[in-house]
Formats: sequence, C-alpha cells, structure tokens
Amino acid sequence: MELFSIIMLISLIIFSIAVSVVKDLLASVIVFMVYSLIMAILWQQLNAPDLAITEAAVGAGITTLLFIIAIKKIRGDKK
Amino acid sequence: MKNDIVLREVCKFMIPAIQLYAVYIILHGHISPGGGFAGGTILSCSFIIAHLVFGRDYVKSKFNFNLLIKIMSICLIIYGIIKMYSFLTSGTHLPHPPIGVPGNILSGGFILPLNILVGIIVACVMYIVFDLFMEGGK
Repeated sequence: MELFSIIMLISLIIFSIAVSVVKDLLASVIVFMVYSLIMAILWQQLNAPDLAITEAAVGAGITTLLFIIAIKKIRGDKK
Repeated sequence: MKNDIVLREVCKFMIPAIQLYAVYIILHGHISPGGGFAGGTILSCSFIIAHLVFGRDYVKSKFNFNLLIKIMSICLIIYGIIKMYSFLTSGTHLPHPPIGVPGNILSGGFILPLNILVGIIVACVMYIVFDLFMEGGK
C-alpha cells in the first residue's frame, strides 16, 4: 500500500502542474477532475471514507459541471 | 443531447439508483461514513443529471421552485431549533444525544433528524445554484 500511495501522490503533483500548464481550457478541467478522483482514493487510503465520498461528489461532480458550464457560457452557443 | 436514446434509457434506471444510494448515505450518516452533506450532494447530482438529459421543463414539472425554497427555509428553521437545544444543553444536566450503535439507525437520538434536514437543504441549494448558473435565473 505504501508504493500505491507514493505513486498517487507523485501523480497528484504532476496533475496539479498540468492544470496550470495545459493551454486548452476543457482539457484543464478534465485534468482537474482526475486530480479530484485520485484525491478521493487517497482520502480512503488515509482512513477518511467520509471525506472520500464528499470529495468524489463535490470535487469530481458539481465543480467540474460548473466549470464546464462556465466554459460554455464564455465561448457562446456555437451550434 | 436531449434526443440521444441511449442516454435517456440508461438515465431512466440510473437516476433512481443514485437517489436510493443518496438516501442510504443520509440515513446511515451517524453510524457509517457519509452524512447529510455528502448524501445531499449526491441527491442533487441526480437532479442535475435529470435536468441535463430530460430537459429543464421535466424537472420543473416535478418540483416547483417556490415550493423548493419554502421547504428549504422551513428545514433551516427546524435545524436551528434542534441544534440550539444541543448547544444550550451541552454543559447542563439535561439529556445528551446517545452514542449510536452500528447497525441500528434509530440509536443516535436527534442526529438522524439533523442529518435528514441537512441532506434536504444541501440538495435544494446545490440544484438551485446549478439552475441559476445554467439558465441565468429565468
């Protein structure tokens, strides 16, 4: 389990740098969602399943949805 | 997106499953992981999926927004009253809420009603915020 946690911690650092480096806004939001999901698994590893459920629902669900709606509003309705 | 038949048919049986899971998390909040906030967020996620897939009019035909805000306000007032009892009696000789027994939902005293109230409030607020963000308060 130690190795698994270390791999996920390193990937968290990589993702958090990638969020600010990636040029495409939609790709940046998707990377941020993956960051939240890995953070949820990490909370579970740290014996905090309560936080894991909340992180998975709020971080990966609601926040991503609001970001995507904001991107859609910024670009306008091009259909 | 509203005319995709695969999405509609999958959502028809996924949305009740999500809502059942949310109710489970709210009801077992004091004896297992979860609670009012996590369950309410998952419940509001199911409303948001229904909004995105079946359209806004479908959700509005199920809940009236004025009714939703009234339910939310009444729940906040009841929450304040119950929580005030818990604050005021924490140092006195009045009865305390018991420590729950795993597996028995009714063993937590007034923690269960507090969790249910928080779940209702969070579900209503999250859905109203999403709707204001998406439609601009029309």
